[in-house]
Amino acid sequence: MKFKTLTGIASTLALCAGMASADSTVRFWYHFDNADNPMDALVAAFEEANPDITVEAENIPWNSYYDQLYTAVIGGNAPDAAMVKMFAQPRLVEMGALAPIDDWLADWDGADGLQDNLIELTKGPDGQQYYLPVQYVVLYLYYRPDMFEELGLSVPTTCDEFRETAKALTRDTDGDGQTDVYGFGFRGAKGGHDHWATFTLGAEGVSLTEGLTSEAGVAGTQFVADLFQQDGVFPPSAPNDGFQEIIGAFKAGKTAMTIHHIGSANGMVEALGDNVSAAPVPECGGGRWTAFGDESTAVLSSAEDPEAAWKWITFLSTEGNNTMFNEATGQLPVVKADSESWTLHPQRFVQATVDSLPFAEMLPNSSATADFVNTAWPTNMQRVLTGDIEPAEMNAKIEELFAE
Amino acid sequence: MTHVSETPKHRASLGRQVLPYAMLTPAVLVTLAIVFFPMLQTAWMSLHEYVLFRPNDFTWVGLDNFKAALNDEVFWISLKHTIIWMCTTIPAQLLLGLVTALLLNQEFPWRPVARALIIIPWALPSVVIALMWVWIYDSNYGIANEFLLRMGLIQQAIPWLADPDTALASIILTLTWQGFPFFAVMILAGLQSIPQSYYEAASIDGASAWRQFWHITLPGISGVMMTAVLLRMIWVANSFDVIFVMTGGGPGYATHTLPLYAFIKARTNLDFGYGSAIAVLFTLLLMVVVVFYLKRTGKAVS
Repeated sequence: MKFKTLTGIASTLALCAGMASADSTVRFWYHFDNADNPMDALVAAFEEANPDITVEAENIPWNSYYDQLYTAVIGGNAPDAAMVKMFAQPRLVEMGALAPIDDWLADWDGADGLQDNLIELTKGPDGQQYYLPVQYVVLYLYYRPDMFEELGLSVPTTCDEFRETAKALTRDTDGDGQTDVYGFGFRGAKGGHDHWATFTLGAEGVSLTEGLTSEAGVAGTQFVADLFQQDGVFPPSAPNDGFQEIIGAFKAGKTAMTIHHIGSANGMVEALGDNVSAAPVPECGGGRWTAFGDESTAVLSSAEDPEAAWKWITFLSTEGNNTMFNEATGQLPVVKADSESWTLHPQRFVQATVDSLPFAEMLPNSSATADFVNTAWPTNMQRVLTGDIEPAEMNAKIEELFAE
Repeated sequence: MTHVSETPKHRASLGRQVLPYAMLTPAVLVTLAIVFFPMLQTAWMSLHEYVLFRPNDFTWVGLDNFKAALNDEVFWISLKHTIIWMCTTIPAQLLLGLVTALLLNQEFPWRPVARALIIIPWALPSVVIALMWVWIYDSNYGIANEFLLRMGLIQQAIPWLADPDTALASIILTLTWQGFPFFAVMILAGLQSIPQSYYEAASIDGASAWRQFWHITLPGISGVMMTAVLLRMIWVANSFDVIFVMTGGGPGYATHTLPLYAFIKARTNLDFGYGSAIAVLFTLLLMVVVVFYLKRTGKAVS
């Protein structure tokens, strides 16, 4: 009551002062790598259409995004709506942090305009819908066509070819005894599990939840270790390299291949022009595996005005706005109409994404996934790369984590 | 008469008795609220299984978290690194600080400027320092490798932070650089409190520069040094921001220290029960070191 009275007085005062007042506020958390992000423009457009709602959008650095989100939820200071990835969903649901959106979704006209199957893909572990897709990407292989041409190489389609190609690309170009170009930019720090998974989880019968300690599973991790330790095709800094490092090294010509998604395509074209192209990741162990990079928005269960928060997140996933949002993140729109008119990325990167879709997968819908992504994978991978433990031990630890 | 004169006196003495407490109370209450309450809460949490994403599950497990910690390989690795971290960083900072203070105590032109500049590493935020040194150590573009390669001291660029053999040492160097100005400034203040006449008397008696340093300078600044080492010991032991930004504890566990491990367990894995147990264990260990240090140095200084 007291709070309401205070809010009432505050709004009256605001009105008296001739300022615009809003009936409810939506606090929204998101993460954009792009420094010149157009979130302000989206917020302004939304507020113009919904004068009774104010949106406070806050860009949280990616590296600590989930640490901050979880602690904010526990601390009772969670935002009303937030950008969220699938790997965090089981944990957020377990915390009771998300508001189900099934009823709203049933009444929302825009649902039919979304890409097929996306709603189904983002269903919660308990069968309820919490996530509203806002963008997607698929990871693929970036390579330097000019270097390939110079050495007479073709894009590798299997792991064996990949190894030979990476070795050929690793070379000292100016004769000073130092390696100037490395075959592949491997991401050994947080977020690099997608690289490892491409080499490991493609094998028949191997996934994060089963078969990881089988011969085929261990062979995948061994393959990564050999590429680094025996062949020296990753830069020596690979164990600590994160997103900035692998992208920076590729743009600077320090690496000839790496794995990432369309989000970095425009930056790469800006740096390298036609000397960058993309292809689906190679087939390893008899099958292909690449990551489906999802991003959704969700309404938090603690939202002061859930309806307003829902209005805001649907705004981001409707025609036109979804394009604007994805122009900032450099990812792909989830709205069909926006996809059809999509011109932001050069065709070769869109093609590589589409070609990779048939075998793209998501991480398991388990609350262990967050620990796998944040600590178990990076720590164990780094220990394997630096020779501290054997690949079999790493796979055993990951299997143990998912078995708990 | 006596009755009248006694009452104000009585009141005054009562006032004198109560006033100090009354004035101290707010500070004590604030300290209790922001230091002791969280400390007790941490100790309480360490006796429970408390995983933050299962907020309704707060089960009493007694000393299980402590037992688990003592059987945890990473706890021992982190403890080893914490000991190396403290035993090298603090003496290195002290030595560098002492040399700097002695130099800055000499008469030379632009001395005030030099004294102001020396404080920069100490004044910079840890995150800025960490990011700066990450670039210095970078194996592709870093100035450290560039310099050493040009000098012919190394043949291949070294991934300083990605190699478990050099990662901890590289961070120790960074922290030494960050922390030595604190010692320099403290010791400089101590140096200036030593009367010049002592040195004059000593030189009349024919004492060499070394003798003067050993018998006048060192005893003169020992009290300051003791306090500075104590403060720094607690700060360095607890500091993990620089490590966190530079390597996040990696590669593998190569730069894990106990406070960092407790932080990762609690904040990233959300296992507050186990994280708290590590923090409590570390606090106890640090307390033993501090008490031992105070006893030894207290005797030595007096």
